[in-house]
Amino acid sequence: MAYEKVEVYSPRSLAEALELLSQKRELIKPVAGGTDIMVMLKDGVLKEKELLNLSFIPELSYIKESENRVLIGAATKYREIRRSPLINAYSPILIEAIRQIGSPQIQNLGTIGGNLGTASPAGDSIPPLYILNSRVKLQKLGSSREVQIDKFFLGPRKTVRESDELITEISIEKMDPGSYYFFEKLGLRSANAISIVSAAAILSLENNTVKYLRLSLGAVAPTVIRAVEAEELAKDKELNEELIDRIAKLAAESTKPITDIRGTAEYRKKATYGIIYEALYKIMKGYGKKVEYGFENTS
Amino acid sequence: MITEAVSKYSYINKSIPRIDSNDKVRGTLQFLTDIKLENALYAYTFRSKVAHGKINGIYTEDAEKVNGVKAVLTYKDIPALNGYGAIVPEIPVLAYDKVRYYGEPLALVAAETQEAAIEALGRIKADITPLPVVHSIDEALEENAPKIHDKGNIARHTIVRKGDVEKARSSAYIVLERVYETPMQKHMFLEPEGGVAYIDEEGVLNVLAGGQTPYRDKIQISRVLGIPPEKIRVKNTPTGGAFGGKDDITVQIHLALLAYKTKRPVKLVWSREESGVAGFHRTGSKIKLRTSANKDGALLSNEAIIYLDSGAYQSFGPTILDVSIETINGPYRIPNYIIDANLVYTNNGIASAFRGFGAPESNFAIESMMNELADELKIDPIEIRLKNILKSGEIGPFNNEIRHSKGLEEALNRAKELFYRLDPSGPFQRTGVGIAVSVKGVGFGTLPEFPAAAIEIIPEGKVRIMFSNVDYGQGINTGNAQLVAEKLQVPLSQIEVLHSDTKFAPDTGGSSASRSTFNGGGALLLACDKALSELKTEAASFFMTKSDSLSYKDGHFYYKDKSVSIYEVAKRLRVRGKSTRFEATFEVPRYSEAVEGTLEVPHMVYMYGVIITKVEVDELLGKVKPREVDFIADIGNVINPAIAAGQIEGGIIQGLGYSLIEELNYDKDGRPLNINYTTYPVPIIADSPLINVEFIRSYEELGPFGAKGVGEVSIIPVGASVADAVADAIGKRNYKLPLLPWKIV
Repeated sequence: MAYEKVEVYSPRSLAEALELLSQKRELIKPVAGGTDIMVMLKDGVLKEKELLNLSFIPELSYIKESENRVLIGAATKYREIRRSPLINAYSPILIEAIRQIGSPQIQNLGTIGGNLGTASPAGDSIPPLYILNSRVKLQKLGSSREVQIDKFFLGPRKTVRESDELITEISIEKMDPGSYYFFEKLGLRSANAISIVSAAAILSLENNTVKYLRLSLGAVAPTVIRAVEAEELAKDKELNEELIDRIAKLAAESTKPITDIRGTAEYRKKATYGIIYEALYKIMKGYGKKVEYGFENTS
Repeated sequence: MITEAVSKYSYINKSIPRIDSNDKVRGTLQFLTDIKLENALYAYTFRSKVAHGKINGIYTEDAEKVNGVKAVLTYKDIPALNGYGAIVPEIPVLAYDKVRYYGEPLALVAAETQEAAIEALGRIKADITPLPVVHSIDEALEENAPKIHDKGNIARHTIVRKGDVEKARSSAYIVLERVYETPMQKHMFLEPEGGVAYIDEEGVLNVLAGGQTPYRDKIQISRVLGIPPEKIRVKNTPTGGAFGGKDDITVQIHLALLAYKTKRPVKLVWSREESGVAGFHRTGSKIKLRTSANKDGALLSNEAIIYLDSGAYQSFGPTILDVSIETINGPYRIPNYIIDANLVYTNNGIASAFRGFGAPESNFAIESMMNELADELKIDPIEIRLKNILKSGEIGPFNNEIRHSKGLEEALNRAKELFYRLDPSGPFQRTGVGIAVSVKGVGFGTLPEFPAAAIEIIPEGKVRIMFSNVDYGQGINTGNAQLVAEKLQVPLSQIEVLHSDTKFAPDTGGSSASRSTFNGGGALLLACDKALSELKTEAASFFMTKSDSLSYKDGHFYYKDKSVSIYEVAKRLRVRGKSTRFEATFEVPRYSEAVEGTLEVPHMVYMYGVIITKVEVDELLGKVKPREVDFIADIGNVINPAIAAGQIEGGIIQGLGYSLIEELNYDKDGRPLNINYTTYPVPIIADSPLINVEFIRSYEELGPFGAKGVGEVSIIPVGASVADAVADAIGKRNYKLPLLPWKIV
């Protein structure tokens, strides 16, 4: 089947984009990279007949430091995030997740704002954003607001973005130096695989006692979720196999998975347990990845 | 690693780079779906959105009114037979009374622009009364199952037997009974089905479309259009992948019909999703197997009930069923057996040929059975096979004399050195090792095959070789060029290949059943013999001597201290008004009669292989990672080791997909759920294990320079070896492929 005909607008500035959006609102679909939109177009499921292409707006593509946070322009490509010395140094868990998104081709086009806009519960950049206490900046003509990441998503492919708003920036926390982290995803193959289950965590340890744990899960509920009960349980406890088992169990219980061709609901719960247990076990045994502020590793 | 034997040959046994690789690597090769013809119409297919239903009417009036639309065709527009199918022509070209699968074609549209064609598609209306959908073999067999065809839901049923199974079983030390199931698998070739068609100045209808068997395509088109085959040309090359899925008709008849009706060039290419709903797939299977043995592992009896899911129609179904019959006894000495084989209709698309052709299905059953028997009897899985394999000269279960199965014995002995578990890579990883044996006939068994091929000696210094087998990526061009270079002792650079085009190449048959090297190569060598004999006579006239006083070497005839090249001789022939093109037909050796109850069993020449699969299973996640695979092959003399190893590696990776992640599913309305690369994941290179391919030194007297075939041998045993390795790792056997993670934990 051929692609449906659509009109594409490619503004050169944010002001121009916001202006267009204020006029057209729900008639036009913002596109940042297009790796999802192109599939929707091909399948004939896109309801908008006009596209607002954000690829030519330099002001939407940046990575900069702001005190204890890092700010990422919404149209910043995955590839640029992977190469960013700032993010490698301060928030490497995001790199860990983005490395596992699609394939190099996808990473060359896809953007972090696009991943948020698509709002798939299996979007791989989202679990780390949850535990980096991220804030999403939404801008419209004449005003802007910031939304906490866990308030941003309403359900699969649904967000709080109003039709005249653009996602313009994502602000993420710098991780504490010395904290451990992981992003693990389970797919049916090594790349270009949609997550069956994914999990991201930041774990701060002091003398093998948990100072805090932040844990988020992807593809197991209508949106990415934080495993809050598991996080609370872990606080101030000694990291041992028993604790890991309890954390993983509580996290699995907090999921509300579905059955589809990529896995049964029952399996998704089991796999949630497994993925967390194995990752935390690795940290306990001293093989986990650790935040060490520095600027050597930027591959 | 490839073990290359020290060779006495100049051009074969050599890993020569493929002669067509340059354009492919550079991306400059024009595939048939890339062709843009001037003035061509765009064609699209209107498909049923009902999987099973009665057609009350198809209304095209509104569509015909769209500006730029040149044709909207339904079954009413078919000039002659509304049917095709490689074995039985029962698949409607355009559905007329019923639809039997989701996506079945109802109408064709051709228009000046894509937009007009799409607009017209949207205006066609089909009035179809839905009927209950038959989703599976089990449902099809239910007593009150909806009948998909008037004759019912069994397309073919046959029983093949030998000896007295009851008696043998009652005296056995062990009897195991199991049910094995394998999924429908999609071919997922990179180039979807498609091509172009046009009528040339001479009034010949040209159909240029991806395919595997140009001459059969030509006959099938001719039957539908009611025009003589001579007025049709089919070209199938280059084709971007096929694996059996383009062996029967895909777009060819639709293209021909549209070009014939509109008198305009037409282009028709299926989208990936159309390929998903209307392209072919591998038969799903359910096999009940009861096997008995002595305490020492010697097999006594084998009882099989085979069900293959043919989908809505029979394409190659009847002969696929035959190969599954032949494979269910393995390469083993089985004195008593009964095979009850059934080809079953469902509303699941259409099943057709797919690499292995019924063998992977049966192999999964019998080889899993052998592994479990070995377990139960506490015999080494290699020893139980060594005990039961047929030896050269023995009479096999289908009354055939076994030729050269020495290779299998050697391969099994070598396998002993490779059969071990790997060390786990982490605390949650469990490792296991599994084994299976592969056996597959080359060609069409007892069915008569008379492949023809030609060579032309071009005085300007080239040897043109012509055959109709299609090179869809497997490398037959290069392999056949090497065979001719070896035979004529001329450099490969002088060989020019013209193939898979009925305008130039004689009917060698198609590329299927691992037959191209054996049959095409065989015919080409005979054509070379003919050429050499004729050229020698002419050379004798050149030297004014007798032809038996000439010798031949490196493309030259020698007489005393003088020599003349084949090209100079060809020039003389041309000057004297004689042809320099030589054609020959190879009468493929076969048994004259099929075993009772079968169409083509047995084969005369078999390929063999032993596979060892080493896996790691994550005990919490159930994810199976194949880490290493060894494959020891007996494929006869190896013409091009790198290409042959590539075929074996490709088959293994495709087999790993089949064993672990691939499965075509249909929903309750009979709609396929996985119709593209997003929803139907196939393994990618990063999923590939370390693969070690070894070749047993072997020479098949009947084959060209001792070659047999290679295309299918490696995919066949992957399933059983993976299931065995997983069982070894987790201590529990699985009887149903694919082994998705949620089936493991």
